Amino acid sequence: MENVIHTDKLTKIYSGTTRALDGLSLDVQRGEIFGYLGPNGAGKTTTIRLLLDLIRPTEGRAALLGLDAQRDSVAIKQRVGYLPGELSLWDNQTAQQIIHFVGQARGGYDKTYVQTLADRLQFDLTKKMRAYSTGNKRKLGLIIALMNKPDLLILDEPSSGLDPLMQQTFYQLMQETRAAGHTVFLSSHILSEVQAICDRVGILRGGKLQAVERVDALTRTDFRHVILRFRQTVPESLVATVPGVSGVTSENNGKTLKLQLLGDFDPLLRSLDGFYVEDMEVQEPSLEEVFLKYYGAQSAVNNHQKAEATQ
Amino acid sequence: MTGVVLLNTLRRNWRQAIYWGISIGILGYYVIVLVPNMDTLKQYEDLVAKMPPLMLKAFGLSDAAQMATPAGFLGFGFFSYMLLVLATYAVLAGLSITSSEEDRGILDVLLSLPIPRWRIIIERLIAYTLILIVMLVITFAGLWIGAATTPGLNLDLGRLLAATVNMLPATLLVLAFTALAGAVARTRTLAIGVATVFVVASYFIDFLGAAASGTFFDSLRVISFYSWYNGGQIMFTGLEAGRVLLLLAVALICALGSLWFFQRRDIV
Repeated sequence: MENVIHTDKLTKIYSGTTRALDGLSLDVQRGEIFGYLGPNGAGKTTTIRLLLDLIRPTEGRAALLGLDAQRDSVAIKQRVGYLPGELSLWDNQTAQQIIHFVGQARGGYDKTYVQTLADRLQFDLTKKMRAYSTGNKRKLGLIIALMNKPDLLILDEPSSGLDPLMQQTFYQLMQETRAAGHTVFLSSHILSEVQAICDRVGILRGGKLQAVERVDALTRTDFRHVILRFRQTVPESLVATVPGVSGVTSENNGKTLKLQLLGDFDPLLRSLDGFYVEDMEVQEPSLEEVFLKYYGAQSAVNNHQKAEATQ
Repeated sequence: MTGVVLLNTLRRNWRQAIYWGISIGILGYYVIVLVPNMDTLKQYEDLVAKMPPLMLKAFGLSDAAQMATPAGFLGFGFFSYMLLVLATYAVLAGLSITSSEEDRGILDVLLSLPIPRWRIIIERLIAYTLILIVMLVITFAGLWIGAATTPGLNLDLGRLLAATVNMLPATLLVLAFTALAGAVARTRTLAIGVATVFVVASYFIDFLGAAASGTFFDSLRVISFYSWYNGGQIMFTGLEAGRVLLLLAVALICALGSLWFFQRRDIV
Protein backbone atom coordinates (compact mmCIF):
# COMPACT_ATOMS: atom_id res chain seq x y z
CA MET A 1 0.00 0.00 0.00
CA GLU A 2 1.19 3.49 -0.85
CA ASN A 3 2.60 5.59 1.98
CA VAL A 4 1.14 9.08 2.02
CA ILE A 5 3.34 10.09 4.94
CA HIS A 6 6.78 8.61 5.43
CA THR A 7 9.25 9.81 8.00
CA ASP A 8 12.71 8.42 8.56
CA LYS A 9 14.43 9.11 11.89
CA LEU A 10 12.87 12.55 11.92
CA THR A 11 14.38 14.56 14.76
CA LYS A 12 13.96 18.11 15.98
CA ILE A 13 16.21 19.53 18.66
CA TYR A 14 15.59 23.03 19.99
CA SER A 15 18.30 25.20 21.54
CA GLY A 16 20.84 22.44 21.09
CA THR A 17 19.45 20.30 23.92
CA THR A 18 15.65 19.97 23.90
CA ARG A 19 14.63 16.96 21.84
CA ALA A 20 11.09 17.86 20.79
CA LEU A 21 11.01 14.90 18.40
CA ASP A 22 13.41 12.01 18.57
CA GLY A 23 14.02 9.71 15.61
CA LEU A 24 10.44 9.40 14.39
CA SER A 25 10.03 6.72 11.74
CA LEU A 26 6.42 6.44 10.70
CA ASP A 27 4.35 5.41 7.69
CA VAL A 28 0.77 6.49 7.10
CA GLN A 29 -1.00 4.74 4.28
CA ARG A 30 -3.36 6.04 1.64
CA GLY A 31 -7.02 5.98 2.61
CA GLU A 32 -6.61 5.63 6.36
CA ILE A 33 -7.43 7.88 9.26
CA PHE A 34 -4.34 7.91 11.43
CA GLY A 35 -4.60 9.16 15.00
CA TYR A 36 -1.54 10.71 16.57
CA LEU A 37 -1.93 10.53 20.31
CA GLY A 38 0.01 12.11 23.09
CA PRO A 39 -0.29 14.66 25.86
CA ASN A 40 0.81 18.27 25.52
CA GLY A 41 4.53 18.52 24.87
CA ALA A 42 4.79 14.98 23.48
CA GLY A 43 5.86 16.29 20.05
CA LYS A 44 2.61 16.03 18.07
CA THR A 45 2.56 19.62 16.86
CA THR A 46 6.32 19.53 16.21
CA THR A 47 5.75 16.55 13.92
CA ILE A 48 3.00 18.37 12.03
CA ARG A 49 5.12 21.51 11.66
CA LEU A 50 7.98 19.42 10.29
CA LEU A 51 5.66 17.71 7.80
CA LEU A 52 4.42 21.10 6.60
CA ASP A 53 7.95 22.52 6.40
CA LEU A 54 7.14 25.25 8.90
CA ILE A 55 10.20 24.09 10.83
CA ARG A 56 13.22 22.16 9.57
CA PRO A 57 14.44 18.86 10.99
CA THR A 58 17.71 18.61 12.88
CA GLU A 59 18.11 15.08 11.52
CA GLY A 60 16.14 12.70 9.35
CA ARG A 61 13.68 13.39 6.59
CA ALA A 62 10.01 13.35 5.79
CA ALA A 63 8.09 12.69 2.59
CA LEU A 64 4.44 13.44 1.90
CA LEU A 65 2.56 12.03 -1.09
CA GLY A 66 5.87 10.68 -2.35
CA LEU A 67 7.49 14.12 -2.35
CA ASP A 68 10.22 15.52 -0.13
CA ALA A 69 8.70 17.65 2.64
CA GLN A 70 11.29 20.39 2.28
CA ARG A 71 12.32 20.41 -1.36
CA ASP A 72 8.81 19.89 -2.76
CA SER A 73 6.98 21.81 -0.06
CA VAL A 74 4.91 23.97 -2.42
CA ALA A 75 3.82 21.04 -4.60
CA ILE A 76 2.84 19.10 -1.48
CA LYS A 77 0.75 21.95 -0.12
CA GLN A 78 -1.24 22.00 -3.33
CA ARG A 79 -2.60 18.62 -2.22
CA VAL A 80 -2.74 19.04 1.56
CA GLY A 81 -5.40 20.56 3.79
CA TYR A 82 -4.26 21.74 7.20
CA LEU A 83 -6.05 22.76 10.37
CA PRO A 84 -3.77 24.26 13.03
CA GLY A 85 -4.36 23.72 16.73
CA GLU A 86 -5.42 27.32 17.12
CA LEU A 87 -6.74 29.08 14.03
CA SER A 88 -5.74 32.70 13.76
CA LEU A 89 -6.50 34.85 10.71
CA TRP A 90 -7.06 38.47 9.79
CA ASP A 91 -9.67 39.96 12.12
CA ASN A 92 -10.92 42.53 9.61
CA GLN A 93 -11.73 39.96 6.92
CA THR A 94 -14.95 37.99 6.55
CA ALA A 95 -14.91 34.21 6.33
CA GLN A 96 -15.93 34.56 2.67
CA GLN A 97 -12.95 36.82 1.93
CA ILE A 98 -10.57 34.45 3.70
CA ILE A 99 -11.97 31.43 1.88
CA HIS A 100 -11.69 33.27 -1.42
CA PHE A 101 -8.04 34.07 -0.66
CA VAL A 102 -7.26 30.46 0.28
CA GLY A 103 -9.08 29.22 -2.82
CA GLN A 104 -7.18 31.62 -5.07
CA ALA A 105 -3.88 30.60 -3.46
CA ARG A 106 -4.69 27.00 -4.33
CA GLY A 107 -5.59 27.93 -7.89
CA GLY A 108 -9.38 27.96 -7.58
CA TYR A 109 -12.18 26.35 -5.59
CA ASP A 110 -15.73 25.07 -5.77
CA LYS A 111 -18.02 27.67 -4.17
CA THR A 112 -20.93 25.23 -4.05
CA TYR A 113 -18.89 22.73 -2.07
CA VAL A 114 -17.78 25.45 0.35
CA GLN A 115 -21.44 26.38 0.91
CA THR A 116 -22.29 22.69 1.42
CA LEU A 117 -19.58 22.40 4.08
CA ALA A 118 -20.77 25.63 5.72
CA ASP A 119 -24.35 24.32 5.78
CA ARG A 120 -23.33 21.01 7.29
CA LEU A 121 -21.26 22.72 9.96
CA GLN A 122 -23.99 25.37 10.47
CA PHE A 123 -21.48 28.12 9.81
CA ASP A 124 -22.27 31.68 8.73
CA LEU A 125 -19.72 32.78 6.13
CA THR A 126 -20.61 36.45 6.15
CA LYS A 127 -19.17 37.58 9.49
CA LYS A 128 -15.76 39.07 10.13
CA MET A 129 -13.16 36.93 11.90
CA ARG A 130 -13.27 39.00 15.06
CA ALA A 131 -16.97 38.15 15.48
CA TYR A 132 -16.52 34.38 15.55
CA SER A 133 -16.40 32.27 18.70
CA THR A 134 -13.67 29.68 19.21
CA GLY A 135 -16.00 26.94 17.96
CA ASN A 136 -16.89 28.90 14.83
CA LYS A 137 -13.22 29.61 14.12
CA ARG A 138 -12.70 25.85 14.31
CA LYS A 139 -15.47 25.35 11.77
CA LEU A 140 -13.88 27.88 9.44
CA GLY A 141 -10.56 26.07 9.83
CA LEU A 142 -12.23 22.81 8.86
CA ILE A 143 -13.82 24.40 5.79
CA ILE A 144 -10.44 25.81 4.75
CA ALA A 145 -8.81 22.41 5.24
CA LEU A 146 -11.53 20.48 3.40
CA MET A 147 -12.62 22.90 0.65
CA ASN A 148 -10.22 21.65 -2.02
CA LYS A 149 -10.83 17.96 -1.25
CA PRO A 150 -7.13 17.40 -0.53
CA ASP A 151 -5.38 14.05 -0.86
CA LEU A 152 -4.05 14.46 2.66
CA LEU A 153 -5.67 16.19 5.60
CA ILE A 154 -3.44 17.17 8.53
CA LEU A 155 -5.49 18.20 11.52
CA ASP A 156 -4.12 19.36 14.86
CA GLU A 157 -6.64 18.72 17.66
CA PRO A 158 -9.50 19.07 15.18
CA SER A 159 -12.62 18.72 17.27
CA SER A 160 -11.61 20.76 20.31
CA GLY A 161 -14.07 23.63 20.63
CA LEU A 162 -16.79 21.87 18.63
CA ASP A 163 -20.05 21.05 20.37
CA PRO A 164 -21.09 17.34 20.50
CA LEU A 165 -23.45 17.67 17.54
CA MET A 166 -20.74 19.25 15.39
CA GLN A 167 -18.29 16.60 16.54
CA GLN A 168 -20.59 14.00 15.00
CA THR A 169 -20.68 16.02 11.77
CA PHE A 170 -16.90 16.20 11.89
CA TYR A 171 -16.66 12.42 12.33
CA GLN A 172 -18.95 11.96 9.31
CA LEU A 173 -16.82 14.30 7.23
CA MET A 174 -13.71 12.33 8.14
CA GLN A 175 -15.37 9.05 7.23
CA GLU A 176 -16.47 10.50 3.90
CA THR A 177 -12.92 11.70 3.30
CA ARG A 178 -11.61 8.20 3.91
CA ALA A 179 -14.33 6.70 1.71
CA ALA A 180 -13.19 8.99 -1.10
CA GLY A 181 -9.71 7.45 -0.81
CA HIS A 182 -8.10 10.42 0.89
CA THR A 183 -5.91 10.22 3.98
CA VAL A 184 -6.33 11.91 7.34
CA PHE A 185 -3.57 12.47 9.88
CA LEU A 186 -5.00 13.90 13.06
CA SER A 187 -3.36 14.66 16.35
CA SER A 188 -5.48 14.42 19.42
CA HIS A 189 -5.52 13.86 23.11
CA ILE A 190 -9.24 13.02 23.00
CA LEU A 191 -9.14 9.26 23.10
CA SER A 192 -12.83 8.71 22.40
CA GLU A 193 -12.41 10.70 19.19
CA VAL A 194 -9.52 8.56 18.04
CA GLN A 195 -11.41 5.43 19.03
CA ALA A 196 -14.47 6.60 17.08
CA ILE A 197 -12.88 7.40 13.73
CA CYS A 198 -9.28 6.27 13.44
CA ASP A 199 -8.03 3.12 11.77
CA ARG A 200 -4.60 3.20 13.33
CA VAL A 201 -3.03 5.15 16.10
CA GLY A 202 0.52 6.21 16.92
CA ILE A 203 1.31 6.92 20.54
CA LEU A 204 3.94 9.54 21.22
CA ARG A 205 5.72 10.15 24.49
CA GLY A 206 8.50 12.62 25.20
CA GLY A 207 9.17 13.04 21.48
CA LYS A 208 9.47 9.30 20.89
CA LEU A 209 7.00 7.05 19.14
CA GLN A 210 5.99 4.38 21.62
CA ALA A 211 3.72 2.24 19.46
CA VAL A 212 1.72 2.12 16.26
CA GLU A 213 -1.31 -0.15 16.35
CA ARG A 214 -4.67 -0.65 14.76
CA VAL A 215 -7.22 0.90 17.10
CA ASP A 216 -9.25 -2.31 17.30
CA ALA A 217 -6.13 -4.44 17.89
CA LEU A 218 -4.94 -2.05 20.54
CA THR A 219 -8.11 -2.47 22.56
CA ARG A 220 -8.54 -6.18 21.79
CA THR A 221 -5.11 -7.52 22.54
CA ASP A 222 -4.85 -6.12 26.01
CA PHE A 223 -6.64 -7.13 29.17
CA ARG A 224 -10.39 -7.21 29.70
CA HIS A 225 -12.61 -6.27 32.59
CA VAL A 226 -14.82 -9.16 33.66
CA ILE A 227 -17.86 -9.03 35.95
CA LEU A 228 -19.25 -12.40 37.17
CA ARG A 229 -22.65 -12.60 38.91
CA PHE A 230 -23.36 -15.79 40.89
CA ARG A 231 -26.47 -17.24 42.47
CA GLN A 232 -24.54 -17.95 45.70
CA THR A 233 -21.72 -16.30 47.61
CA VAL A 234 -18.31 -16.99 46.10
CA PRO A 235 -14.95 -16.37 47.81
CA GLU A 236 -12.46 -14.10 46.01
CA SER A 237 -9.84 -16.79 46.44
CA LEU A 238 -11.76 -18.92 43.95
CA VAL A 239 -10.40 -16.92 41.01
CA ALA A 240 -7.56 -14.94 42.56
CA THR A 241 -4.96 -17.58 41.76
CA VAL A 242 -6.13 -18.25 38.21
CA PRO A 243 -3.39 -17.43 35.66
CA GLY A 244 -3.99 -14.00 34.03
CA VAL A 245 -6.46 -12.84 36.67
CA SER A 246 -5.76 -9.75 38.77
CA GLY A 247 -7.52 -7.06 40.75
CA VAL A 248 -10.30 -9.28 42.10
CA THR A 249 -12.94 -7.47 44.13
CA SER A 250 -16.13 -8.75 45.66
CA GLU A 251 -19.52 -6.99 45.79
CA ASN A 252 -23.16 -7.76 46.56
CA ASN A 253 -22.34 -9.94 49.59
CA GLY A 254 -19.86 -11.93 47.61
CA LYS A 255 -22.31 -12.73 44.80
CA THR A 256 -20.52 -10.47 42.31
CA LEU A 257 -16.83 -10.69 41.44
CA LYS A 258 -15.02 -8.06 39.42
CA LEU A 259 -11.63 -8.81 37.95
CA GLN A 260 -9.20 -8.09 35.16
CA LEU A 261 -8.21 -10.87 32.84
CA LEU A 262 -5.09 -10.99 30.73
CA GLY A 263 -5.07 -13.77 28.16
CA ASP A 264 -7.49 -16.64 27.50
CA PHE A 265 -10.82 -17.28 29.25
CA ASP A 266 -10.43 -21.00 29.63
CA PRO A 267 -8.53 -21.15 32.96
CA LEU A 268 -11.03 -18.73 34.48
CA LEU A 269 -14.09 -20.67 33.26
CA ARG A 270 -12.67 -23.98 34.51
CA SER A 271 -12.12 -22.48 37.97
CA LEU A 272 -15.85 -21.68 38.19
CA ASP A 273 -16.86 -25.33 37.97
CA GLY A 274 -19.54 -26.10 40.60
CA PHE A 275 -20.78 -22.51 40.90
CA TYR A 276 -23.92 -21.24 39.17
CA VAL A 277 -23.05 -18.23 36.99
CA GLU A 278 -26.12 -16.06 36.40
CA ASP A 279 -24.37 -13.50 34.22
CA MET A 280 -20.94 -12.71 32.82
CA GLU A 281 -20.07 -9.25 31.51
CA VAL A 282 -16.88 -8.58 29.53
CA GLN A 283 -15.66 -5.05 28.85
CA GLU A 284 -12.77 -4.19 26.58
CA PRO A 285 -10.37 -1.65 28.05
CA SER A 286 -10.87 1.89 26.91
CA LEU A 287 -8.17 3.48 24.82
CA GLU A 288 -7.47 5.70 27.78
CA GLU A 289 -6.45 2.70 29.82
CA VAL A 290 -4.28 1.46 26.99
CA PHE A 291 -2.87 4.93 26.65
CA LEU A 292 -2.03 5.12 30.32
CA LYS A 293 -0.42 1.74 30.12
CA TYR A 294 1.86 2.92 27.34
CA TYR A 295 2.74 5.96 29.34
CA GLY A 296 3.32 3.99 32.50
CA ALA A 297 1.85 6.84 34.50
CA GLN A 298 -0.43 4.40 36.22
CA SER A 299 -1.46 0.87 35.52
CA ALA A 300 -4.59 0.43 33.51
CA VAL A 301 -6.00 -1.78 36.23
CA ASN A 302 -5.57 0.81 38.94
CA ASN A 303 -7.07 3.43 36.71
CA HIS A 304 -10.14 1.32 36.11
CA GLN A 305 -10.50 0.63 39.82
CA LYS A 306 -10.41 4.32 40.55
CA ALA A 307 -13.05 4.99 37.93
CA GLU A 308 -15.25 2.27 39.39
CA ALA A 309 -14.82 3.64 42.89
CA THR A 310 -16.05 7.07 41.85
CA GLN A 311 -19.23 5.71 40.26
CA MET B 1 -1.74 31.97 -8.04
CA THR B 2 0.89 34.70 -8.43
CA GLY B 3 -0.19 38.01 -6.91
CA VAL B 4 -2.70 36.55 -4.49
CA VAL B 5 -0.71 37.71 -1.43
CA LEU B 6 -0.22 41.15 -3.00
CA LEU B 7 -3.95 41.54 -3.67
CA ASN B 8 -4.83 40.26 -0.22
CA THR B 9 -2.42 42.75 1.39
CA LEU B 10 -3.83 45.62 -0.65
CA ARG B 11 -7.40 44.58 0.16
CA ARG B 12 -6.67 44.51 3.89
CA ASN B 13 -4.75 47.79 3.96
CA TRP B 14 -6.14 50.20 1.38
CA ARG B 15 -8.38 51.98 3.87
CA GLN B 16 -5.46 52.53 6.23
CA ALA B 17 -3.41 53.93 3.35
CA ILE B 18 -6.17 56.37 2.46
CA TYR B 19 -6.54 57.54 6.09
CA TRP B 20 -2.79 58.03 6.52
CA GLY B 21 -2.52 59.75 3.13
CA ILE B 22 -5.43 62.10 3.84
CA SER B 23 -4.04 62.96 7.29
CA ILE B 24 -0.60 63.79 5.92
CA GLY B 25 -2.17 65.57 2.93
CA ILE B 26 -4.30 67.78 5.20
CA LEU B 27 -1.23 68.59 7.28
CA GLY B 28 0.62 69.49 4.07
CA TYR B 29 -2.29 71.67 2.97
CA TYR B 30 -2.24 73.62 6.24
CA VAL B 31 1.52 74.07 6.14
CA ILE B 32 1.21 75.47 2.60
CA VAL B 33 -1.57 77.91 3.44
CA LEU B 34 0.52 79.17 6.34
CA VAL B 35 3.41 80.06 4.02
CA PRO B 36 2.17 83.43 2.67
CA ASN B 37 1.24 84.54 6.12
CA MET B 38 4.21 86.84 6.53
CA ASP B 39 3.62 87.30 10.22
CA THR B 40 4.12 83.59 10.71
CA LEU B 41 7.22 83.52 8.57
CA LYS B 42 8.58 86.53 10.40
CA GLN B 43 7.97 84.90 13.74
CA TYR B 44 9.79 81.78 12.54
CA GLU B 45 12.64 83.86 11.21
CA ASP B 46 12.95 85.66 14.55
CA LEU B 47 12.81 82.38 16.40
CA VAL B 48 15.42 80.77 14.18
CA ALA B 49 17.62 83.86 14.34
CA LYS B 50 17.82 83.45 18.10
CA MET B 51 18.96 79.86 17.74
CA PRO B 52 22.66 79.10 18.06
CA PRO B 53 24.27 78.24 14.69
CA LEU B 54 24.72 74.68 15.86
CA MET B 55 20.97 74.30 16.28
CA LEU B 56 20.36 75.82 12.86
CA LYS B 57 22.64 73.24 11.32
CA ALA B 58 20.97 70.52 13.28
CA PHE B 59 17.64 71.49 11.75
CA GLY B 60 19.19 71.46 8.30
CA LEU B 61 19.12 75.22 7.77
CA SER B 62 22.18 77.09 6.61
CA ASP B 63 20.93 80.47 7.83
CA ALA B 64 17.92 82.16 9.35
CA ALA B 65 17.02 83.97 6.12
CA GLN B 66 16.42 80.62 4.46
CA MET B 67 13.68 80.03 6.97
CA ALA B 68 11.80 83.09 5.79
CA THR B 69 11.34 81.65 2.29
CA PRO B 70 8.39 79.37 1.43
CA ALA B 71 10.81 76.63 0.37
CA GLY B 72 12.80 76.83 3.61
CA PHE B 73 9.64 76.91 5.67
CA LEU B 74 8.28 73.79 3.94
CA GLY B 75 11.58 71.94 4.23
CA PHE B 76 11.87 72.72 7.94
CA GLY B 77 8.20 72.58 8.91
CA PHE B 78 7.01 69.69 6.79
CA PHE B 79 9.48 67.54 4.87
CA SER B 80 12.00 67.23 7.73
CA TYR B 81 9.48 65.75 10.10
CA MET B 82 7.08 64.00 7.77
CA LEU B 83 9.64 61.28 7.19
CA LEU B 84 9.29 60.34 10.87
CA VAL B 85 5.53 59.95 10.36
CA LEU B 86 6.03 57.85 7.24
CA ALA B 87 8.77 55.86 8.97
CA THR B 88 6.29 55.01 11.72
CA TYR B 89 3.92 53.65 9.09
CA ALA B 90 6.80 51.83 7.41
CA VAL B 91 7.77 50.14 10.69
CA LEU B 92 4.17 48.98 11.22
CA ALA B 93 3.96 47.77 7.62
CA GLY B 94 7.36 46.09 7.82
CA LEU B 95 6.25 44.19 10.92
CA SER B 96 3.15 43.04 9.02
CA ILE B 97 5.27 41.39 6.35
CA THR B 98 6.14 38.43 8.56
CA SER B 99 6.65 39.31 12.20
CA SER B 100 3.14 40.29 13.35
CA GLU B 101 1.52 37.36 11.57
CA GLU B 102 4.10 34.92 12.86
CA ASP B 103 3.40 36.19 16.36
CA ARG B 104 -0.35 35.65 15.93
CA GLY B 105 -0.07 32.28 14.20
CA ILE B 106 -1.49 33.53 10.89
CA LEU B 107 1.69 32.51 9.07
CA ASP B 108 0.98 28.88 9.94
CA VAL B 109 -2.14 28.99 7.78
CA LEU B 110 -0.49 31.08 5.08
CA LEU B 111 2.50 28.76 4.80
CA SER B 112 0.27 25.69 4.67
CA LEU B 113 -0.91 27.01 1.29
CA PRO B 114 1.06 26.44 -1.91
CA ILE B 115 2.84 29.77 -1.65
CA PRO B 116 6.66 29.85 -1.43
CA ARG B 117 8.04 31.81 1.48
CA TRP B 118 9.94 34.25 -0.76
CA ARG B 119 6.72 35.19 -2.53
CA ILE B 120 5.11 36.27 0.73
CA ILE B 121 7.92 38.76 1.35
CA ILE B 122 8.19 40.01 -2.23
CA GLU B 123 4.47 40.43 -2.81
CA ARG B 124 3.99 42.18 0.50
CA LEU B 125 6.93 44.51 -0.09
CA ILE B 126 5.43 45.40 -3.47
CA ALA B 127 1.98 45.87 -1.90
CA TYR B 128 3.29 48.21 0.80
CA THR B 129 5.38 50.10 -1.77
CA LEU B 130 2.19 50.69 -3.78
CA ILE B 131 0.39 51.75 -0.60
CA LEU B 132 3.18 54.21 0.23
CA ILE B 133 3.01 55.61 -3.30
CA VAL B 134 -0.75 56.12 -2.89
CA MET B 135 -0.11 57.86 0.44
CA LEU B 136 2.45 60.16 -1.19
CA VAL B 137 0.12 60.90 -4.11
CA ILE B 138 -2.57 61.96 -1.61
CA THR B 139 0.04 63.95 0.31
CA PHE B 140 1.12 65.75 -2.85
CA ALA B 141 -2.52 66.37 -3.72
CA GLY B 142 -2.93 68.12 -0.36
CA LEU B 143 0.18 70.23 -0.97
CA TRP B 144 -0.86 71.00 -4.54
CA ILE B 145 -4.40 72.02 -3.55
CA GLY B 146 -2.88 74.24 -0.87
CA ALA B 147 -0.50 75.81 -3.38
CA ALA B 148 -3.22 76.22 -6.04
CA THR B 149 -5.72 77.83 -3.71
CA THR B 150 -3.30 80.16 -1.93
CA PRO B 151 -2.95 83.46 -3.75
CA GLY B 152 0.43 85.11 -4.05
CA LEU B 153 2.41 81.99 -3.27
CA ASN B 154 5.56 81.65 -5.31
CA LEU B 155 6.31 77.98 -5.02
CA ASP B 156 8.03 75.71 -7.54
CA LEU B 157 5.55 72.84 -7.99
CA GLY B 158 8.27 70.70 -9.58
CA ARG B 159 10.39 71.03 -6.45
CA LEU B 160 7.33 70.33 -4.32
CA LEU B 161 6.76 67.11 -6.27
CA ALA B 162 10.44 66.22 -6.02
CA ALA B 163 10.41 66.78 -2.27
CA THR B 164 7.35 64.53 -1.94
CA VAL B 165 8.91 61.82 -4.11
CA ASN B 166 12.12 62.16 -2.08
CA MET B 167 10.32 60.72 0.96
CA LEU B 168 9.74 57.40 -0.81
CA PRO B 169 13.29 55.92 -0.91
CA ALA B 170 13.96 56.56 2.78
CA THR B 171 10.54 55.19 3.74
CA LEU B 172 11.15 52.09 1.62
CA LEU B 173 14.46 51.65 3.40
CA VAL B 174 12.69 51.67 6.78
CA LEU B 175 10.08 49.24 5.41
CA ALA B 176 12.72 46.83 4.12
CA PHE B 177 14.87 47.16 7.22
CA THR B 178 11.89 46.32 9.45
CA ALA B 179 11.06 43.35 7.22
CA LEU B 180 14.67 42.21 7.66
CA ALA B 181 14.44 42.67 11.44
CA GLY B 182 11.22 40.61 11.44
CA ALA B 183 12.80 37.89 9.32
CA VAL B 184 15.89 37.63 11.53
CA ALA B 185 14.35 38.17 14.96
CA ARG B 186 11.84 35.48 15.83
CA THR B 187 9.75 37.63 18.11
CA ARG B 188 7.71 40.67 17.17
CA THR B 189 8.84 42.55 20.26
CA LEU B 190 12.49 42.24 19.30
CA ALA B 191 11.72 43.26 15.71
CA ILE B 192 9.84 46.35 16.94
CA GLY B 193 12.75 47.25 19.21
CA VAL B 194 15.37 46.90 16.49
CA ALA B 195 13.32 48.87 13.92
CA THR B 196 12.51 51.63 16.39
CA VAL B 197 16.14 51.99 17.44
CA PHE B 198 17.10 52.13 13.75
CA VAL B 199 14.71 55.01 13.03
CA VAL B 200 15.25 56.99 16.24
CA ALA B 201 19.03 56.49 16.27
CA SER B 202 19.25 57.54 12.61
CA TYR B 203 17.34 60.72 13.41
CA PHE B 204 19.49 61.65 16.40
CA ILE B 205 22.78 60.73 14.74
CA ASP B 206 21.87 63.05 11.89
CA PHE B 207 20.62 65.78 14.22
CA LEU B 208 23.66 65.71 16.51
CA GLY B 209 26.11 65.15 13.68
CA ALA B 210 24.73 68.12 11.73
CA ALA B 211 24.99 70.31 14.82
CA ALA B 212 28.55 69.32 15.64
CA SER B 213 30.46 69.14 12.39
CA GLY B 214 33.91 67.58 12.58
CA THR B 215 33.00 65.50 15.63
CA PHE B 216 32.45 61.77 16.10
CA PHE B 217 28.71 62.24 15.57
CA ASP B 218 29.34 64.01 12.30
CA SER B 219 31.41 61.07 11.07
CA LEU B 220 28.57 58.74 12.08
CA ARG B 221 26.07 60.57 9.86
CA VAL B 222 27.14 58.36 6.98
CA ILE B 223 25.23 55.46 8.57
CA SER B 224 22.07 57.51 9.19
CA PHE B 225 19.44 57.19 6.48
CA TYR B 226 18.09 60.50 7.73
CA SER B 227 21.20 62.36 6.59
CA TRP B 228 20.90 60.82 3.14
CA TYR B 229 17.26 61.84 3.02
CA ASN B 230 18.16 65.52 3.43
CA GLY B 231 14.57 66.71 3.95
CA GLY B 232 15.49 70.19 5.26
CA GLN B 233 17.28 71.18 2.04
CA ILE B 234 15.26 69.24 -0.51
CA MET B 235 13.20 72.27 -1.62
CA PHE B 236 16.46 74.03 -2.53
CA THR B 237 18.44 71.15 -3.98
CA GLY B 238 15.74 69.06 -5.64
CA LEU B 239 16.11 65.31 -6.04
CA GLU B 240 19.71 64.12 -5.87
CA ALA B 241 20.12 60.90 -7.81
CA GLY B 242 23.08 59.71 -5.73
CA ARG B 243 21.19 59.95 -2.46
CA VAL B 244 18.05 58.37 -3.92
CA LEU B 245 19.95 55.48 -5.49
CA LEU B 246 21.93 54.85 -2.33
CA LEU B 247 18.79 54.66 -0.19
CA LEU B 248 17.08 52.39 -2.73
CA ALA B 249 20.16 50.16 -2.96
CA VAL B 250 20.30 49.71 0.83
CA ALA B 251 16.53 49.05 0.85
CA LEU B 252 17.07 46.37 -1.80
CA ILE B 253 19.88 44.77 0.22
CA CYS B 254 17.62 44.70 3.30
CA ALA B 255 14.80 43.16 1.24
CA LEU B 256 17.11 40.48 -0.14
CA GLY B 257 18.43 39.85 3.37
CA SER B 258 14.90 39.36 4.69
CA LEU B 259 14.22 36.86 1.87
CA TRP B 260 17.39 34.95 2.67
CA PHE B 261 16.73 34.70 6.40
CA PHE B 262 13.01 33.97 6.13
CA GLN B 263 13.58 31.25 3.55
CA ARG B 264 15.90 29.37 5.89
CA ARG B 265 14.54 29.63 9.36
CA ASP B 266 11.89 27.90 11.45
CA ILE B 267 8.49 29.51 11.85
CA VAL B 268 7.94 29.72 15.58
